[in-house]
Formats: sequence, C-alpha cells, structure tokens
Amino acid sequence: MSDFIAQLIGLGHQYKGVPEIFKDVTFGIEKGSFHFLTGPSGSGKSSLLKMLYLGLKPTWGSLQLFGEDTLKMQSRLVPLLRQKIGVIFQEFKLLEHLKVVDNVALPLRVRGVDAKQCRKQAQELLEWVGLGESLDVYPPSLSGGQKQRVAIARAVIAQPELLLADEPTGNVDDNMAMKLLYLFEELNKRGTAVIIATHNPRLIERSAHPHLTLTEGTILQLPKCTVLS
Amino acid sequence: MSHHHDLPLNKDITARFVPKIVALMVYLGTLCFVFTLFMIHSSALWENQLTTPLSVEMPTLKTTEANSLPSRVLDLLNQTPGIQHAAVVPQKEMASLFHSLLGEDIDVDLFSLPIIIDVSLNNQEKVNFQRLEAGLKNISPHVHVTDHRGWQIQVSNLFHTSIFIAFFITILILFGALATATFATKTSLLIHGQVIEILSLVGATNSYIAKQFQVHAFKQALIASIIGSSFAFLTFFGLVILLEKAELPFVVHSSFFSQTLWVFGLAPVFMAFAMMLSVRIAVMKVLRS
Ligand SMILES: Nc1ncnc2c1ncn2[C@@H]1O[C@H](COP(=O)(O)OP(=O)(O)OP(=O)(O)O)[C@@H](O)[C@H]1O
Ligand SMILES: [Mg+2]
Repeated sequence: MSDFIAQLIGLGHQYKGVPEIFKDVTFGIEKGSFHFLTGPSGSGKSSLLKMLYLGLKPTWGSLQLFGEDTLKMQSRLVPLLRQKIGVIFQEFKLLEHLKVVDNVALPLRVRGVDAKQCRKQAQELLEWVGLGESLDVYPPSLSGGQKQRVAIARAVIAQPELLLADEPTGNVDDNMAMKLLYLFEELNKRGTAVIIATHNPRLIERSAHPHLTLTEGTILQLPKCTVLS
Repeated sequence: MSHHHDLPLNKDITARFVPKIVALMVYLGTLCFVFTLFMIHSSALWENQLTTPLSVEMPTLKTTEANSLPSRVLDLLNQTPGIQHAAVVPQKEMASLFHSLLGEDIDVDLFSLPIIIDVSLNNQEKVNFQRLEAGLKNISPHVHVTDHRGWQIQVSNLFHTSIFIAFFITILILFGALATATFATKTSLLIHGQVIEILSLVGATNSYIAKQFQVHAFKQALIASIIGSSFAFLTFFGLVILLEKAELPFVVHSSFFSQTLWVFGLAPVFMAFAMMLSVRIAVMKVLRS
C-alpha cells in the first residue's frame, strides 16, 4: 500500500462550452497531510475538490483514490470510497426536511450505525460547534454561519480518512473560524488528511501548513507559511 | 423496526395519487380474480355433474306395447359398442328438476313427463350414432336420441375462454398497478434528485437509497391494498346476498364462498411485496445509469 490517499496526474477539466478550468494538475495527498488550497475565484478550487469526491469526472489525466484508479473502477465502489471522505460543501447541501441532528448523523446512518448511537455522536459534535440548542431545528431556520457549522459537523462525524473543506469559514466570525481550524487540526492529528479551500488569509497565516495554489490551470505548491493573496 | 426517512417521500405529489390508484386496482383485481375462481369452480362442477353425453327420450304412452318400450331400448343401448351404461332417469329426479325450474307449487302429475335414459360412453370405442338412431327408430318412431356432446364442448370452451379472459384481466390489472408504481417512482426520483445526490455524496449506496423507496412503497401499498381489498370483499358479500335473494340457482357449491376468503386476505400482502419489488427494480435501474 502506498502512503498516498490520492494521486492526481496531469488532471484537467473542461465544462461544456467554456474554456478548460485547469489542464495539468499533478500532486499527491499523503495520509495525515494538511493542505490549504487557494486561488482566485473561479480558478477551479471547488471543481478540483468535486473531482476528489467523485462528483466530477476529469476530462484529462488520471486520479487514484485509496489505491483505486477512479476512471477504471466499478461504479459500485464509488459509495465505498465516498464513505472514507468527508466533504464540507461551499453551499452546505443540508437536507432541509431533516432536523439538524439527523443531518449531522446522516453519514453514520448510511454506514448502518444504529439510531441511538447516531444521535449521541451527532449531539456531542453539535454541542462542540456551539449548536447544542438547535438539535431539533430544521436547517431553513438557521443562519448562514450556523448552517456552515452543521455542514462541518456532518463532514467530520464519521472520522473520514480525507476531509475536503470548501470555504469552511466563509460564513463565521474570526473566533469561530479559529475554533473550526482547531477542530480540523485535531482531526488531522488522529490521521485524517485535510484539504481546505479558502480565501481567508488569516486562516493560512495562523497555521503552519503547506498550501497549494491553483493558477493558470496548474497547481503551484508553496512552502509553509507563505501567504499569497 | 425504527426506520429513518432520509427522503421526504410521503410529502411528494406521487404520495397523493398512488395510494388511490393502488386501492382501485386492488379492488378491481381482487374481484376479477374471485370471478376467475368462481368460473373455475362452477365449470368443474358442471363438467362433473351435468355431463350426459347421450340421452334417449320417449313419450309415456298408455299402451301395452309402450310398457315394454323402455326395456327394449335399454337392451339395444347396452348391446351397442361404445356405450358403457344406460339407465332410466327416475321419475322422482325428473319431478325435482321440474320443481327447481318452475317452483314447488307446480303439480308435476299434470305434465306427462317423458321417459329419459341417460347414456354414458366408454371412451375406448366410438359409437356409430347413425346406426344407433336407425335401430331406435326401428323399435318405435317415437324414440329420440340426442347427442349432447356438441353443445357440451361448446359450453366447456366458453367456460375455459371466460376463465382465461378473467384471469388475463386480473394479470393486466396487476401490471397496471405495478406500472403505476414504477412511473410514480421515476417521478419521485426526479423530484428528490437533489436529496438523492446528497445522500450518495455522503456515501449512501444505491441499495440504501432504494431501501428508502421500498419501505415507503411497502407501507403505502399495504394500506391502500387493505382498503381496496376490504371494499372488494364488501362488494362480493353484497353480490352473494343479492343473488341469494334473487333465488337464482348457483351453479356453485356454497363452500366456494368460504374458500374464497383467503383471496381478500392475501391480496394486500401480495400487492405490497409486488410493489416493493417493482419499486426496487425501478430505483436501482435509474440509479445505475
Ligand atoms: N457546472 C458547471 N458548468 C459549467 N461551468 C462551471 C460549472 N461549475 C463551475 N463552472 C465554471 O468553472 C470555473 C471554476 O469554478 P469553481 O466553482 O470550481 O471555482 P472556485 O475556485 O471554487 O471559485 P470560488 O472561489 O468562487 O468558489 C468557473 O469559471 C465556473 O464558472
Ligand atoms: Mg468554490
């Protein structure tokens, strides 16, 4: 077994009818690593993460995930790989007809964890992100920042091997942002590889993790603590 | 079983019309199936009891010659190759037949009842019908032989065709219900496309998603079918009472009615499983593509 969770080689993507967003992205995500992913708006950060959680097929190149060649593997493996990945979507993607606690417990439920255990873990996590009062509330009545924290709790509850966070601190104040960064780092210490796509320079400044920048269709790997704005 | 509704299936548009259609289909299908059973039952009874392939009829004449007529006819019949047995229908039986057709108040003695001989055939040899007819005319010109086999086969065919058609319609109704479930499921999949996408992004397998639809379909079909089947039972019960009141002679044994009750009990369970299965097939097919 290699120590890479994901290996991207010459990866590129083009949406129909528009110029390609990136064309030659090559890098590897090691087990237990921590990266920031930056780049101007529209550079393709969300699209790159989408490829990593198998929501978007690359137009060029190859993508290995957990040792599987994603372009050649059987489709029945897709859910199994996704169960190893936690995603915080830029637009949250919460289920509006489910209570907050059930939203958070969703990844556990699809893995077959029993209802009682699901609720217990979801409750703990929600208390930690400051939403202990909102367990039985439905997402439409939450603020943007609250929804974001629900989305984060859902992404981390199953202790994934890879956490993909798309602007996870875009809707919260600095204090909460730092608290969430601390959560990601705690998870990282337990072995989860983390990639955070962000525009937030303070987040990058205050931690000592390397960051990847998407510019002109390729990835530029910057040394630790270098801030590019 | 505690089950979680990750998909808001009972809030979508299909939840409003599918149960009604299923209830209606089960109502019609159950009645149609019971009618099929009724036809099978009565045709079997009819074929067992009412089949006299040949019968010989002669008037009751008050002459001395006439007294020996039946025995001479019987002798001839019993000597004819292909005939297994010939027997005079007792006058009592004839009288009761008349009573059942015309009512108990009729005085049968007012009629001069003919003498009828029922003939059963042995299946190995063929009867030479023309020679038999000529032989009987020889004994007396008043003796008539009737071959019932032609119309009996026709009635038999009619029975079988009706049974086939009734069963075929039952199957069509069943498929109609299952097709409705399939269409509704496809609509549901479109309505809940986003929710399904999110479920699959957090790692739900296709069969996890399908199971949500299945459980929903099973419950929905079970409740709707119980309602449909109950109404079918009431209709059936009403018909039986109505027919009994009309004093129509049933060509059916009374035990048929108690034997049919299982249909009304089993129809909802069968339907619920059939719906669940067809919904699973529909969901898996859509999710795979
Ligand atoms: N479904 C789509 N169809 C067509 N074009 C798309 C689609 N999704 C994204 N794009 C285009 O791809 C480019 C990259 O989008 P993406 O969302 O990946 O950028 P981003 O780096 O995440 O931006 P931001 O920082 O604003 O979130 C954009 O120009 C966008 O218009
Ligand atoms: Mg984005």
